[in-house]
Parts: sequence; structure tokens; C-alpha cells
Amino acid sequence: MAAVSMNGSARAPASDIALEVRGLSHVYEAGDRAVPALQDIDMSVRAGRFIVIVGPSGCGKTSLLMMMAGLRAHSAGTLLCQGRPIPTPDPTRVGVVFQEASLFPWLTTLDNIEFPLSLRGVPAEERRRRAEAMLSLVGLKGFGARYPHELSGGMKQRVSIARGLVQDPPVLLMDEPFAALDEQTRMTMGHELLRIWSTTSKTVVFITHSLTEAVYLADEVYVMSPRPGRIIDHIEITLPRPRTYEMMATDVFGRLRERIWQQIRHAQ
Amino acid sequence: MTAPSPILVRRAILVGLIALWEILPRLQVVPELFLPALSKVLVVLASDWQVFGGALLVTLYEVGLAIVIACGLGITVGALVGGVASLRSLLLPVFSSLYAIPIVILYPLFTAWLGIGPQSKIVFAGLYGFFPVMLSTAAGVRVIDPQFLLAARSMGATLTQQVTRVIIPASLPTVFAGLRLGGALAIIGVVVAEMLTASAGIGYLVTLNRTILDSPRVYAAILAILLLSILYDVASRALERRVVVWQSTGRQSAPAARPVSTATPQATAA
Amino acid sequence: MQRGLQTLIRLALLALVLGLWEVLPRIGAVNPMLLPPLSDVATTLWGLLGRANVREAIAVTTLEVITAFAIAVPLGAAAGILLAENEYLGAIFKPMLFYVFSIPKSIFLPLFILAFGIGFGQKVGYAAFTTTFVVMMSATAAVESVRGDYILVARSFGATPAQIIWRIYVPCMMPVLLETLRISMIFNFTGVMIAEMYASRTGIGHLISNWGENFQLPQLFAGIIILSAVAIAFNETVRRLEARVGAWRQ
Repeated sequence: MAAVSMNGSARAPASDIALEVRGLSHVYEAGDRAVPALQDIDMSVRAGRFIVIVGPSGCGKTSLLMMMAGLRAHSAGTLLCQGRPIPTPDPTRVGVVFQEASLFPWLTTLDNIEFPLSLRGVPAEERRRRAEAMLSLVGLKGFGARYPHELSGGMKQRVSIARGLVQDPPVLLMDEPFAALDEQTRMTMGHELLRIWSTTSKTVVFITHSLTEAVYLADEVYVMSPRPGRIIDHIEITLPRPRTYEMMATDVFGRLRERIWQQIRHAQ
Repeated sequence: MTAPSPILVRRAILVGLIALWEILPRLQVVPELFLPALSKVLVVLASDWQVFGGALLVTLYEVGLAIVIACGLGITVGALVGGVASLRSLLLPVFSSLYAIPIVILYPLFTAWLGIGPQSKIVFAGLYGFFPVMLSTAAGVRVIDPQFLLAARSMGATLTQQVTRVIIPASLPTVFAGLRLGGALAIIGVVVAEMLTASAGIGYLVTLNRTILDSPRVYAAILAILLLSILYDVASRALERRVVVWQSTGRQSAPAARPVSTATPQATAA
Repeated sequence: MQRGLQTLIRLALLALVLGLWEVLPRIGAVNPMLLPPLSDVATTLWGLLGRANVREAIAVTTLEVITAFAIAVPLGAAAGILLAENEYLGAIFKPMLFYVFSIPKSIFLPLFILAFGIGFGQKVGYAAFTTTFVVMMSATAAVESVRGDYILVARSFGATPAQIIWRIYVPCMMPVLLETLRISMIFNFTGVMIAEMYASRTGIGHLISNWGENFQLPQLFAGIIILSAVAIAFNETVRRLEARVGAWRQ
């Protein structure tokens, strides 16, 4: 299935493009075999958009995200972040939130959020000020002295988001951040994330395999096929903002969800 | 009616044992030679404090250096063997096999090589502690979550920063478990060695007084050793709790929560 | 290929150690009085195995090791299972057990000598005493390795208590049990050795202790080689078994 073209996005001026992926492919070596993992990925993400990538397990969506974060190399094609390649991680351009919150258990909440700043030798006072600001942004004011094991799963992910945002990068990449949470916490966190996003105007690329989560959060959804991962659909989510839980019961929501499901099902 | 709390029962048992130690010999239920009354032992310990204190100093000196060998070498080699995949698959099976050898049979060799002074005790106790510390460190290093390193890299950590800011703090619990284990084994090793062949030290006093059937002095030395090893255990645990405050799993019964894996129990037949 | 290479490197390391052991004393790089060449040790070893007193010592030690093991394993296992199954007793005694572990148990050797005299009973008693703690500790771990939900599942399918023991506990605990036996044997062996080296008239431990004191290093090395070989052989055999019955673990 060919990618469905979308009005507007393709013609946007270059300065407005936060992430540009052109003809990206990746092949990795498994012993003496070459396994194609990603094939001809094209994406053009405008600044300030909320992008969700969905796909079955093993389609390479996490690999793609790691490449956008500069954590992994790709075999062919171009990947530009604000018009420049990103060969190594640069937390001032791209923040990352992982599936496991991967907070350092030996640091307090505040120290965890300050961690990327301290790597760069930012003075202690400024670090603390910025970390405190992030902490209240994610709704955890007063929890700064706790250790990760004293936080719930949802709270850990809030801290993880704060850590990803503390250097004020224009792009935030999120790799199934709520996958390990229970359904209710997951809904609340989705809602929270939209609130944080609307106050910070970041570009977000969010990976999930929950179709409901995808439709609920996204401006645009990219659907990926099983290995080798290709973009098989690109859907504009026209639901108005701010999103509400009630929208999930609407026909529009149901149809969008169904369309993604059919794409994934037929690509198997 | 509820059963008394475990802590209470434990204290009662301890008090009971101490009381029995005093009462049984006094009532002549147990012959004096086999178990002299606690008060007699304490009197001897007090009157001969210079002898026991001097012996304890010798033992502490040997233990200190043995800990440096057991933990220094054990933690370093363990971190290498646990952290470097090729070394691990090459050497870990070899070390696990060697672990089966009762190290005490090497002690006569060390006395033949190094004499019956402190050197043979230090080398023996160091080696005695080395294997368990090394194996438990290797196991501990392997459980460092690779996600931590990925996260640090995503935040732009350099290689040096990954080591100092992630690998070292993540290894601290393992290192402290190693220190506690290595210290306990170093004490055990030194005491065994002093009891077998020596001319000084608290273990030597046990053997010396046993051969002349001076039971109060045998027990005075035993008591000193008991106190030494329990003090070390309490102190190392307190230090561990202070440094590793961030550990999550229930710390009430610390070792039960984090056994050093059944493959290397901090068990000691000595 | 990869495994073959590793075995090759290990054999090369072994050959290097053995080669140095032979060459260094021969060329005088180390004092042959302190490190007799390997070939001399091998000749001595062969001669020792033919001597009546050495054979007798081996027999005595073997009997002590087996007897102590036969006492310690059931005793320790019963106590360990009790502590694991009974929460209250476990709460009382498990912390005490951990303190007992850090105590040098050799300090109780004089008691065993006073109780049994110098002989079979003293060695067996001391080795069994030290080994019991090890067995207790690992038996507790073995029982705790059986996850509650397996039992729940079995019960929901109507398994009888006997079936739960045979179909859940035994297969779950098998690898851990073998590990328990293996580790216990290491400590049991050590216990017998220490007791023999401390005060004895016979046994291999007594012999190597004497050889050390009399500077008979070829004999001493031969004794160490024999004991190490037996210990490693036992350990490896049980480890093979463990790997086989524990194939389902990871």
C-alpha cells in the first residue's frame, strides 16, 4: 500500500521542518546474513506537531527512533534534525524518553532531572532552578527528594519526561513510554502529556502499539509494516484539540482506529 | 493470644544462651573443662587483657592486609570477568571449577614458602576471600541495566562520564556486598591459619591454651573472635546502608533480600 | 567454532602453567626446594599412591567425608525447609543464621576435641556441624525458588498434595537441590580437611600438614594435586547434572 499523501505538510517551508527523513534504509549483519530492518522511510515532521508511529513488534520503530536520537547509525538515506544530521546524541536538540523510565536509582528525582545538565557542567544553582521548573511542569512539585523506588510507575515516567525536556530541546522522542503502565494510569498520562506538550510547543515523536493511544494523542499517525519496516500509511488525525476522553466514543475516533488496524492487519 | 514478635524471641534466645553459659557450669551440669562459666571467662579476659589485646592487634593487622588482597583483587578481577563478555565466557567456568578446591590445603604450602609469621596468614586469607568476592562481583556487574547506559548516552554522556556517572554508582551495592563478604572471609581465613600453624594472634591463643587445657583462656579467645566477626558484620552493614541509601528492596533483613546468589553463598566451612 | 577456540585457549593456559612449573625450577629460575619440577611431583604422586599409609589415609578421609555429608544434608535440609515454610520460625532464625555465617566456625574445633577426643568422631562432628549451616541456607533458597503461583495453578487443576510435591516442588527444586549438594560438598570437604589438619593421627589432611611442616614439598604438592583433582571432578560431575535437569531455567 502506497503512502497516502497529505495536504499541506509536503509543501511546508524548510525552516518549519523539525525532522526530515528521506529514503532511510537500514540493514544489519546477523552472522554472515544481511537482514533488512528498515526500508525507504520518508517522513517530514513539521515543528510543533505530535507524531505517533504505530506498528507491530519488531517492525523497527524503536530502531528508527534511536536513529533520530543519534544513538544508532543507519545504512542509507538522510536523517536531518532542524536541517542538520544528528550523528551523535545531542540532548539540546533531541530529548529521549524510554519505555522503562530508566531513572538512575542512586539519584533523587531532582538529581535525575539535573543529570543531563550536570554532564555539561551547568552551575548547580541554575541546574536546580531548571530542574524545579521541570518538576512543577510535570506536576510533581514536592517530590524532588524522593528516590525512584519511592515513586509509582506513572510518576517515574513524569520524571523521565522532565529529564527529557530539561535542556529545552525542540524535539522530544518517546519510545512506548506508557507501555508498562496500567490502563487507567496510561490514560491519565496521555492526557498529561498533551497538557505538557501544549504548554511547551515541542515536536513530539511518540512510538506505541496501542491504536487508541495513537489516535488520542496524534496530529499525524505513521503506520509501519512488519520487518523490513516501511511506512505503509500516513494518517492526519482531524479530531479537534484539546482532546477529551469523550472523543474516544465517537464515530470519527472509531473509524480512524479501524483504518490503522486494517493497515496493520493486511500488512502481516 | 498472639505469638511474641520474632525480635523479642531472638533476644530471649540470646539472653537464655548467655544465662545457660553461666548457670550450667556453676551447677556442674557441664564439666568445667568443657565449658567454664562466662564470669570466669570474662575475669580471665579482663586480667589478661594485654595478652588478648596484643594478640588481637596481630590478627587485625593480618586481617586488614588480607581484606586488601581479597577485596582489591576480587572486585577488580570480578568486574573485569563480569563486565567483559569474552573474558567472562573464557574464564568464569575456570574460576568456578577452581572454587571447588578446599583452599585450606594450600596453607601448609604457604607456611613452607613464607614461614609461620603474618605473611603466610595474609596470603592464605586473601586467597580464601578472593574467589567468593570475585564470583559475586562478576555476578553483580552483569546485572547493571544496559538501559542506564543507553539513557546516559541519549543525554550526551561521554565514555568517561558513562563510567564515572553510571557504571561506578550502579556497581556500589555489589562492591559493598563484596567488601562485607571479603572481610568476613578474611577474618575466618586468618583465624583458621593462626589456629593451624602460628606463633602469634588470637587464633594461636585458642590453640595454645587448648593444648595446655586452660579452658577459661580458650573461651576468652573464642569470645574475642566472636566479637570481632560480629562487630565487622554490624559495622560493614551500617556503612553499606549509609552509602547505598537508594536500594529499594526491603532492607530489614538485608542479606535475605539480596543473597549473593546461591552459587557463592557467604558460607564458610571454616 | 567459538567454543572450540575457548577450549583451546583454556588448554593453552593450562599447558603454559604446567610448562612453567616444569621449566622454571629446572633452569633454576625458582628454587626447586620450594617449587619442585612437575615431573618430580608426578613421580612422587605415583609412588605415594602405592604406599599403604597413604591409601589408608585416603580411605579414612573418604569415610569421614561421606559420613559427615550423610549427617549434615538431611539435618540441614529439614531445618532449612522448616525455616522456609514456617514464616514465624523463619522470621526468628533466618537473621541469626546470617550472623552465624560470618563467624569463623573453626573456633569450635577445641569443643569437638573435648567432646570426641582426637579421632573419627571429632572430624565427622566438626565437618557435619559446619556443613549443616550451608545446607540449611541453600535449602531455604531452594524452597523459596518454588513460586507460589505454580502451586496455585496446580491446585486449581485439582492436584493432590502428593502430586504438588512430585509434579511441582521436585522439578522446580531439582537444579537448586543439586546445586545445594554441590556447594555443601565443597564446604564439607573443607571442614574435614581443617579438622584433620588441626589435630589428627591419620587422614590426608594430617599428611599434607605434616609434609608441609617437614618441608617435603614434592609430597605436599602431590597431596594438593590429588585433593584438588577429586574436588574438581566431583564439582564438575554435579554441575553437568545440574545443567541437564535445569535446562528449563533461562
